[in-house]
Amino acid sequence: MANQLLEVKSVDVFYGDVQALWEVSIQVEEGTIVALVGANGAGKTTLLKTISGINSAARGEILFSGEHLENLKPQNVVDRGIMHVPEGRRLFANLTVLENLRLGAYVPRARPFFAESLERSFTLFPVLQTRKNQKAGSLSGGEQQMLAIARALMGRPKLLMLDEPSLGLSPIFVKTIFELISTLNEQKATILLVEQNINQALKIAHQAYVLKTGKIVMSGAGNELLADEEIRKAYIGERVGRRQR
Amino acid sequence: MNLILTLRVLVNGVLFGTTYGIAAVGLSLIFGTMRIIFFAQGTFIIFFAYISYWLLTLLGIDPYLSLIIVIPASMLLGSALYYGIFKEAAANEDKNISLLLAIGLMYLMENFMLVVWTPDPRSVVTSYTTLVFRPFGIVIPFTRLTTLFIAVLTAAGVFIFLKKTLIGTAVRAASEDVVSTTLMGINPNWVNAVAFAIGIGLAGVAGVALATIYPFDPSYGFIFAIKALIALALGGIGNVYGALLGGILLGLIESLGSFYVGGGWADAISYGVFLLVLIFRPQGLFGGSIKKA
Repeated sequence: MANQLLEVKSVDVFYGDVQALWEVSIQVEEGTIVALVGANGAGKTTLLKTISGINSAARGEILFSGEHLENLKPQNVVDRGIMHVPEGRRLFANLTVLENLRLGAYVPRARPFFAESLERSFTLFPVLQTRKNQKAGSLSGGEQQMLAIARALMGRPKLLMLDEPSLGLSPIFVKTIFELISTLNEQKATILLVEQNINQALKIAHQAYVLKTGKIVMSGAGNELLADEEIRKAYIGERVGRRQR
Repeated sequence: MNLILTLRVLVNGVLFGTTYGIAAVGLSLIFGTMRIIFFAQGTFIIFFAYISYWLLTLLGIDPYLSLIIVIPASMLLGSALYYGIFKEAAANEDKNISLLLAIGLMYLMENFMLVVWTPDPRSVVTSYTTLVFRPFGIVIPFTRLTTLFIAVLTAAGVFIFLKKTLIGTAVRAASEDVVSTTLMGINPNWVNAVAFAIGIGLAGVAGVALATIYPFDPSYGFIFAIKALIALALGGIGNVYGALLGGILLGLIESLGSFYVGGGWADAISYGVFLLVLIFRPQGLFGGSIKKA
């Protein structure tokens, strides 16, 4: 069996009395891109938040390199090597680009490599270097998404989780972001990707899971799911082919 | 002559306002990370005024020299307060619990001080208490000038800490988005404890400074907390730099108010300004905006 970096096993999550995830199980193999797709409210973001410790699982296990994560606080999950780029980016708008990046490398595991990581970020995103002393809030939407990803990379993640990285971006930036995700993967990064842009996500994903109302309803290789007309109709349905917001 | 008098009033306002300013910077930092108005701040200022009084009367330690003891001790007390009292409540979504703890702590400290030091006003009297300078006919007491000097140094120290150190940057980041800082691997307890250490540390500085200027009694803490809150509102809640300016502005308003309208009106005027600012410019006077809580 291939080397599974992350294993989520039969996880149930509740918001108060409302169950948001039902026995969700996914696996992320080292060095791959895994996509979570599905409609709004299907539980994709909830799953990422549960992995990173913002939400807690009522039942089930989350194993990262064989180590249990389910009772860890978010800051300790980061320490283990998972960086989560949340929905809406959540940059520190009043801090400069450089300060945002510095905080990305806050954990002791990443801090000694700050200079090296910074150089890599600036190579990947030259625009961030030219804007390094500008406040993050003054960047354009696309630049902010780049900064959010760069900030997460500063933490030298073993697993990078991206929540809707293309949301609200212009088509050119959407293309740039997906190219970037592929590039990162070629450089050996393992990526768990949540996307509403299903076509694009399935194209680059090695493995994909379809979530519907809190349950995994389908999984398979990205291009298989993409090719399967029935699946598209049934689970991804109305979203395929429709122009993304 | 009138010009000299006005200048004297203005200078006095600035000199006293800086004490409000450092208190307000402390409030602003704690508000930034904890999202509560730390009402006990003023009571801690008076507490440290008493400590300075005791160090002088019992051990003969000069108030300004006592800062060497008071600053580290107050910072230690601040982080101990966080870990001992506020840590559990801080993890709760409901900020009212932390707020009630702060108010409870204020009354506890006030009554503690009443028992230990009685309600009679005390003052710190040194050889230089009555020393004044008279540049161009403006009377400037030595202690107030020293207070200004200490306040400027302290504020500069805090600002440099916030701007230049990694943990200082984390404190500023947490005041914008706590969840996002945890996703960077930053422990929110550590950030809160640092904010408390600096906040109470500033109360220590303000307490010693206050003790050298004015007589004080335990009940003065609450009034001081309200004054610091007004300074905070003037400067913009959540804006650390604005808090210092807000304090100085409040000092000026009080000084001008009591001179031109009458001593009894000073407080009424500052509360009036407080209400007007909250109604018409809730983001404060200095451009900053209220952060989303």
